[in-house]
Amino acid sequence: MSIAISIEDLTFTYRESERPALQNIQGLIEDGTFIVVMGHGGAGKSSLCCTLNGLIPNFFRGKYQGRVLVKGEEVARHKVAEMSRIVGLVLQDFEAQLFSTNVELEMAFGPENHCLPRSEIEHRIQRYLAFVGLERLRQREPATLSGGQKQRLAIGSVLALEPKILVMDEPTTDLDPQGREEVLSIAGRIREEGRMLLVVDHEPETAVWADQVWLMRDGQVVAQGSPTEILLDVPLLKSCGIKPLPLVELFQAIGWPGGPLTVEMAIDLIQKHNLAEHRKLKFTEAPSNHAKGTPMLRADALKYIYPTYQVEVLRGIDLCVWEGEFIAILGQNGSGKTTLAKHFNGLLKPTSGRMLVRGRPTTNYSHRDLARLVGYVFQNPDHQIFSKTVKEEVGFSLKMLGEDPKTVEKRVTEALEVVGLQGYEEKVPFTLTKGERQCVAVASVLAVQPQVIILDEPTTGLDYRHQRNMMEMLKSLNKSGHTVIIITHSMWVAAEYTKRTIVLKDGCILSDGPTRLVFADEALLARASLRPSLLVQLSNWLGTQGLTVDQMVQELKGNEI
Amino acid sequence: MNIFLYLDKGTWIHHLDPRTKIISLLIIFVICLCFNHPLYMSAISLGVMLIAISAKALLNFWRLRFILILLIVFSTVMWPFFTKGATPLWSWGPLHVSRESLLYGIAMGLRLATFVGAGLIFLSTTRNEELTNGLILMGVPYPIAFALSTALRLVPTFAGAGATIIQAQVSRGLDLESGSLFSRIGKFIPQAVPLFIYAIRHTNLLAMALESKGFSPESKRTLYYEPQMHKVDYAVLILLVAILIILLYIRLGLGLGVIITGHM
Repeated sequence: MSIAISIEDLTFTYRESERPALQNIQGLIEDGTFIVVMGHGGAGKSSLCCTLNGLIPNFFRGKYQGRVLVKGEEVARHKVAEMSRIVGLVLQDFEAQLFSTNVELEMAFGPENHCLPRSEIEHRIQRYLAFVGLERLRQREPATLSGGQKQRLAIGSVLALEPKILVMDEPTTDLDPQGREEVLSIAGRIREEGRMLLVVDHEPETAVWADQVWLMRDGQVVAQGSPTEILLDVPLLKSCGIKPLPLVELFQAIGWPGGPLTVEMAIDLIQKHNLAEHRKLKFTEAPSNHAKGTPMLRADALKYIYPTYQVEVLRGIDLCVWEGEFIAILGQNGSGKTTLAKHFNGLLKPTSGRMLVRGRPTTNYSHRDLARLVGYVFQNPDHQIFSKTVKEEVGFSLKMLGEDPKTVEKRVTEALEVVGLQGYEEKVPFTLTKGERQCVAVASVLAVQPQVIILDEPTTGLDYRHQRNMMEMLKSLNKSGHTVIIITHSMWVAAEYTKRTIVLKDGCILSDGPTRLVFADEALLARASLRPSLLVQLSNWLGTQGLTVDQMVQELKGNEI
Repeated sequence: MNIFLYLDKGTWIHHLDPRTKIISLLIIFVICLCFNHPLYMSAISLGVMLIAISAKALLNFWRLRFILILLIVFSTVMWPFFTKGATPLWSWGPLHVSRESLLYGIAMGLRLATFVGAGLIFLSTTRNEELTNGLILMGVPYPIAFALSTALRLVPTFAGAGATIIQAQVSRGLDLESGSLFSRIGKFIPQAVPLFIYAIRHTNLLAMALESKGFSPESKRTLYYEPQMHKVDYAVLILLVAILIILLYIRLGLGLGVIITGHM
């Protein structure tokens, strides 16, 4: 086996920053291996990717020490365009990467740059479109594809250059579960082809299949090893801000032998050592609609058709949200989750049917009055941040609603305290990290003290530590009386935190009930192309009530044979 | 959301060489400048409409109907005040409107709408990449051709982001429906700043992705869609040039199609 990549004591500091983004990185990677790199937000994972094809130091300037050799070539001495013959890089944001007007031209772009003959380009388009499973969509416009298809196209367009090394920077972060699986199965096939593959990912499940796992923290590679070595070291993972595999956590917490990386391994171990008995999942909470308090939101036969394209996105939704609930809305992209949520705060008006907020149709409210009752946090905080200081940003809504400066000041301080950003008042929001910006966006909605808070993908793009912080904050908001609704792709977030789960498919409600009950029906979830997290799958198999590690530990310990 | 103008219909106009379409567009622009009499101008507008029908581009005309109507209405109302004609129609203080200036205004409205319409047909039938390739083959340096087509390409992307940003700010209580002109300008900031930052971030990522795929503005590249001039291309060009010559003769030689002399 020859060496594909050799990194020799690499340190890099971006021009505008003082702290090095990468510090004394060492590494040797052989041809044909599959490396997964994990680490907290800002650990230097993306920077590492950029050093492999020369974007660092040729595109991003800064202080560069050490060497990176790819196939014996020193990366820093070559232009990025030259390196593209050896190293392919797929970025996280597939929207920004795709810019051609149809799929085949997107695929042709790289080979065109390499000045290949047209027949060869044609050959490669065919080969790699089939490889990523998009051969039928050859004439489609990239903007009309689903998230998973877009990311597959982005990967295909890089593969068309036939690089020996493929680097993917968080290729699944912005995808729904189905898109995630599509992309991961392609990663598997790339590996079979014998190309070297380096993937940055948050989810420890991806790392299970790697040859080698690298852990990064604060610009340093703190551990390199086989998946079992790394994934069984729960404290190490936590110190790097990575979610440990819940099954491993569970086994270690109860003191069961072995560390299962998959559900099958866990079931094998349980059966082999006779660790626990099957039980029947009992359901104690009565799923009745009586005595739940005041209805906050109510949809009656709600239908919505997008006016420009006459597409029916919501096909008759009947729904009641009671005061103080904590709800997850699940479903694939395009199932109508966001469209439904935008009805809750009146951004969209039903085509037919009614949407009631506190018993009054949203059509009878002004935007301002609704903004006081229902707060909506958009997925990307950068779509709303515009102020010079955090204080102004958080106080914006209140100012718009005509509150006096004293109240504004008081509420801003309170809201920042809730999201854990005390003392940030005078900071410039654009310079904060993604997690902090997300918190600023939440605070700016909280400051109004709406009774209902809707969050679109509150944990996407955050690392595990920030995901936990965000969800704990929402949990305490819910405890203090707010009704919280989250739209999410993250199955473990929904399972661990919400009380009620609504599953949407093709604009209809497929399932609506207590979260434990909805998650118990894996066949139903599969119809919406969803799959519960590994822990919940094991819990379903065991028939336990618990949806979190702690709950299951308690339950299983109490009933140990 | 699909807000691109290109319509993948595959009509004979779609199959024309992009160079033919670029030159034809320029000829049609000149043709629009030939007359300032509304009757003659409307004949030209009708001609462009027929091309639009044949290119199956009417959907885009429908989408942009407000802009087209606005152009016609505004010029019809505004132009008469700035030109002088022989037959007075109405006057109030220093403002005068004559029959000729009113007709001139209508002609100008039609002219502007026809300009936009011709451009719309071009964008409905020409892929971005075809435009780039056409420009390259016409001798435009690749970086310039690429910058131009990328700018066109990014407009709908940014428009989509702009729509999301407006929704996000309206959810936070930003009231876009009322207020004086001054306060409305103030309300522009919460929309413009995030869009600006989005644009910078997006173009930066795009540049990274392009370089990673081997893009380099100096070097030669293959054109996967290589435009080729066919017989029909030459026929279209010859026909348009002939029409232009005839129209120029009508205007300059016969002096017809003019409502106010001394104006284009």
